[in-house]
Amino acid sequence: METHAQPNAQPNSSELSAPQSTNRRNSLWWDAYRRLKRDKVAVISFWIIVAYVIMAILAKTGLLFPDVNASVGDQYMPFSLEHPFGTDIQGRDILARAVHGSATALSVGFIASGIALIIGIALGALAGYYGGKIDALIVWLYTTVDSIPYILLIPSLTFVLGRGLVNVYIAVGVTSWVTLCRLVRGEFMKHKSRDYVLAAEALGASHARKIFRHILPNVAHIGFVQFGLGFVSAIKFEVILSYLGVGVDPTTPSWGIMLDDAKLELSRPFWGNLLAATLFMFFLVLAFNLFNDALRESLDPKLKNK
Amino acid sequence: MIPNLIGITLLTFILFHVMVKDPATRFAGKYATAERVETIRAELGLDRPLHEQYLFFLKQIVTLDFGRSWATKQKITTMIDDGFSATLSLTIPPFIASIIFSVGLAMFAAYHRGGFVDKAVVVTCLAMMSISSLVYILFLQNVLAFQWGLFPVSGWDPSWTGRWEYLLLPWIILFVLLLGSDILVYRSVILDEAYQDYVRTARAKGLSNRAVYTKHILKNAMIPVITMIVIGMPFLITGSFLIESFFGIPGLGGMMLKALNESDFPVIKAMTVIISIAYMFFNLLADIVYSLVDPRIRLR
Amino acid sequence: MLGCAPASTVNMVKASNHMKLQMLFDLFVMLYLLALMGDRFDNYRADHYTTKSLKPASVTVKGMRMMCSKVHRFFQLTTFIKGLALCVAVSLVTFGLTGCTKKVDDTDTTINIPLRANVKGLDPINANDLYSSMVIQNIYEGLLDYHYLKRPYELKPLLAEEMPTVSPDGLTYTFKIRKGVRFHDNPAFPDGKGREITAEDFIYSWKRLADPRNASEGYWIFEDKIKGLTEWVNAIKNKTGDFDAPIEGLQAPDKHTLVIKLTQPYYQLQYVLAMPFAVVVPKEAVEKYGAEFLNNPVGTGPFMLEKPSDWIRNSKITLKRNPNWRGETYPTEGEPGDKEAGLLEDAGKPLQIADQLVFIELTEDQPRWQNFMKGNLEWVEIPNDNFDSAVKNDKIVPELAAKGIKLQISSAIEVVYTAFNMNDPILGKNKDLRRAFALASNIPVRIQRFYNGRALQAQGPIPPGLDGYDPDFKNPWGQFDREKAKEYLAKAGFPEGKGLPEFTYETLADSKSRQITEFEVQNWAAMGIKMKISTNTWPQFQEKIKNGQAQIFGLAWGADYPDAQNFLQLFYSKNVSPGPNDSGYKNPEYDKLYEASLKLPPGKERTELYKKMRDILIEDMPWIFGLHRLNYRLTHGWLRNFKYNEMTYGIYKYVRVDPKKRAELKPKL
Repeated sequence: METHAQPNAQPNSSELSAPQSTNRRNSLWWDAYRRLKRDKVAVISFWIIVAYVIMAILAKTGLLFPDVNASVGDQYMPFSLEHPFGTDIQGRDILARAVHGSATALSVGFIASGIALIIGIALGALAGYYGGKIDALIVWLYTTVDSIPYILLIPSLTFVLGRGLVNVYIAVGVTSWVTLCRLVRGEFMKHKSRDYVLAAEALGASHARKIFRHILPNVAHIGFVQFGLGFVSAIKFEVILSYLGVGVDPTTPSWGIMLDDAKLELSRPFWGNLLAATLFMFFLVLAFNLFNDALRESLDPKLKNK
Repeated sequence: MIPNLIGITLLTFILFHVMVKDPATRFAGKYATAERVETIRAELGLDRPLHEQYLFFLKQIVTLDFGRSWATKQKITTMIDDGFSATLSLTIPPFIASIIFSVGLAMFAAYHRGGFVDKAVVVTCLAMMSISSLVYILFLQNVLAFQWGLFPVSGWDPSWTGRWEYLLLPWIILFVLLLGSDILVYRSVILDEAYQDYVRTARAKGLSNRAVYTKHILKNAMIPVITMIVIGMPFLITGSFLIESFFGIPGLGGMMLKALNESDFPVIKAMTVIISIAYMFFNLLADIVYSLVDPRIRLR
Repeated sequence: MLGCAPASTVNMVKASNHMKLQMLFDLFVMLYLLALMGDRFDNYRADHYTTKSLKPASVTVKGMRMMCSKVHRFFQLTTFIKGLALCVAVSLVTFGLTGCTKKVDDTDTTINIPLRANVKGLDPINANDLYSSMVIQNIYEGLLDYHYLKRPYELKPLLAEEMPTVSPDGLTYTFKIRKGVRFHDNPAFPDGKGREITAEDFIYSWKRLADPRNASEGYWIFEDKIKGLTEWVNAIKNKTGDFDAPIEGLQAPDKHTLVIKLTQPYYQLQYVLAMPFAVVVPKEAVEKYGAEFLNNPVGTGPFMLEKPSDWIRNSKITLKRNPNWRGETYPTEGEPGDKEAGLLEDAGKPLQIADQLVFIELTEDQPRWQNFMKGNLEWVEIPNDNFDSAVKNDKIVPELAAKGIKLQISSAIEVVYTAFNMNDPILGKNKDLRRAFALASNIPVRIQRFYNGRALQAQGPIPPGLDGYDPDFKNPWGQFDREKAKEYLAKAGFPEGKGLPEFTYETLADSKSRQITEFEVQNWAAMGIKMKISTNTWPQFQEKIKNGQAQIFGLAWGADYPDAQNFLQLFYSKNVSPGPNDSGYKNPEYDKLYEASLKLPPGKERTELYKKMRDILIEDMPWIFGLHRLNYRLTHGWLRNFKYNEMTYGIYKYVRVDPKKRAELKPKL
């Protein structure tokens, strides 16, 4: 079962050295980078994500569609060159709403999964490294959080925190760290008795040094992959929460609110909102999904000899 | 299990009490007077100290009697009974269909790992997962039910013979929703198996790729596959609250959402406990299955 | 190929049986071809593999043999195509078959009624929501009721023999109760036969309403009004009282006489007696069923819930005709236009009660609309997004008219408004600021955008149809004028919105409320006022309002009874939160006029007072008076004598379905 060889496990290198001290070009990360670069799908996905980020920044800084909440004409204008997705019930340009919606989605993705990353790694590391009572407590905490259905947990958290973007970050963030925590804990348990950690201990390394300098870099790839997965699910959650009316403040453009509008309009029939929100979300999430997939494969040592 | 249950109940209790500070104002009605709010608070047991209310909650769990809903005054056990049958008949068929279909397709993809077919399957699945579940529901309900009239738009018939007509479209949507992630999960589970040592040995023996798959990997992959299925089972109860509310299926998910919207605490309490216990039960079951089928598990 | 499958099933619904069989056959042929194609594909794949992907030549022969084995087939894509084809085939065929079995019964008199929300329970003391009341009022009856056809709304006796006699001081009401009225047959009664009602039953029912242990929302109809009732309630609350203890203000001198004594003049008493809270319930049933009484209703009305299982939770309620109902005749008078609409054809004839009343709970707009279009519902309210396809220039479109569908318009007695929290340090103190808000709020466009023009702009708190409503009156600060609004904003001390903090608008989380709020906020934003939107569930919304935490919020008030007092009490200072005065408006001058109006019987003098009170409110502007909605309903050609009544829902005894016509029209929909 010892397939999770640590990245520096080359025949010549000493088991005693931490990963940083080995040749960079042979590190797990370098290897992964090289393989990612070869994967055309991953590269394209990466650039799509970058394009979204640039678009979001332009929208947020007011360079792109500065007046997103203002009417530009009649309600339900058909698709045209000027308004590619028409206008919504308030007479606002749907394209502008969708572009600004990507900024909302990206910020939820980054911040919420960032929160989950920090909580997950911190608790997972503590539990896995120290074991004993701390471990029991943290395991209790995450099994408890995991057993409460999300459809109860997230809406009630947003009820508690009130509406708004920041509250969505927190609600999604503090509920989605469980998987990561579980994985990190497992890895820490495995790694803490490895020779290189024991050696570091023999050399007098403190707990903090062992955790941060020695073990953490060896399990960081899990965090990376989980961050990507969390990102996607955070975006999806935001859409559903906003659709249910417990997400962002309605003055913040969001794909979920657009879909909520679409639900009523489809019988007119008016497809603008549904189409715009779906397309914008589809390409972002697909790019993320493809990139994640490639990232996971490139980081998975088991698949090395593929 | 017990410490977890205490944690869950405590968290639910705290969340609700922070969420709705004073439910009595809502039940006192539009002509409320301060006095009436007081009466209702007493009637709902909200004037008692919090720890007493919490102990009462624990008592309800032990006796499995959650009393009556605040909003409808109906008996909660009856409400849940009704909801169970609707939810299960919504979730079981697509759940099984998706497992059969996706284990098969995952095998197929894993077999052609790295090839065009595999890539096509993976990309299709990822693309399917990139569309919000809301869009599937909105679009399919609008097109298949409204515009083409292939299915009833929504509704419910509690008789066993009549309900499937209303369930057809929800089944299809749920199946499509489950498919993408199921295929990917089973594919990666099977691929994990494909890198085990025994596979290398089998290949070294001179067995063909096909024989390795049918004789070895398929058999061995069934262990993690079954585990995944068991872990996925709580879905059967939580179902999809969105589908339930769109199609007017009176299941547990929709009931939960309504209870949240009406601050109907007794229903929220009952639902949380039931769903959490189901989660814990199926997780336990998964562990048991795993260790029964695979003795190696103890070594890990 | 896939494209034709859906099309053929659409036709299947309308096609003759012969054609259906043909189509089913075609479908089978099509799927068989698909399966064959699958086999081809299979072979193609096999060739492909042998030449390309199997590398070692030595195992090729072995491999080819294996390919024929069934195990190997498991891996073939075609198996899935076939499986899918089979699934589709099975579902389409079974669907087609159910399509064949539908036929309209030409003797069926069932009336199918849509409900927009789920019925919670059928206990009248908890009839605080519209949809439960809609069912309850067909099962239970009270002393008085509204005239079916006449507008403005007028009371008439129901279980009372005649309208009550009132003492000159207006404090004593004497009702004669109709003889020979029986409760529904029910096992709760000794021999299963419904007992005759007496005056004592009313006293029992009202005590039950007032009993604090029942925590009924409806107690306000008698609260502080009936002599001795408050004392009785307090005694029960302090556990010193007895339920059977007599109450001075509720007396039954004989079996069929009921005397009500009031503590103060209460001209609205007769109105509240027509509300579902005040209906008569039998003691025997309440005692037998206890908490389950809400699922076992026993009343005196024309319809009854035969067995509890006729109510399928969250789906539908089937009421059966009460065979022992006393009978009534159809009204002979109506408002102008009723005769032309065919509503007086049955005038004076005994009512023909439908065999069944089915209330169908459909919470989403579209399913309701679709079901009406298929003839599964007798009437429907037109959803906003379907309005353009159904109505043009207040006339039904010819395509629908050709199907026999008719349009009916009624005006809801309600006002939709935006309230300011009068205790807010900025909004509450600054009249000009509130006026600026009102002037900037574009109500005509709001009516067009969100109501398809189906509403009247409100010029004050009193809706049309009630005393004190003046069709010629225009609110000087109610007409949209952005320039004037800016002037007032400057006058209030905040030119261009400078110096104002960010406000929060509280609204409900549903799509419609959110969209309207977005529109309002957009209007104010154009003036430089910054505002955040906070969406709430109903309980949270209530909590914020009742605790005075909401700054600005949108709400509607529907009349409990057709008297402007029901609207004007919303500004009375003694009704502040948690009472119905949500904005916390306080004005001693207004209170004085309001108290004076309570002591006056309906008439010119009271109407003048109402107008004066309206003028004070317009001046102070605690609300932005929004609009009064108009309800547009479509009815099918086979529905007779249907005239929606905004005040009572017990109207289905008058309504009937023409089964022959339904059998003729429904298949053509």
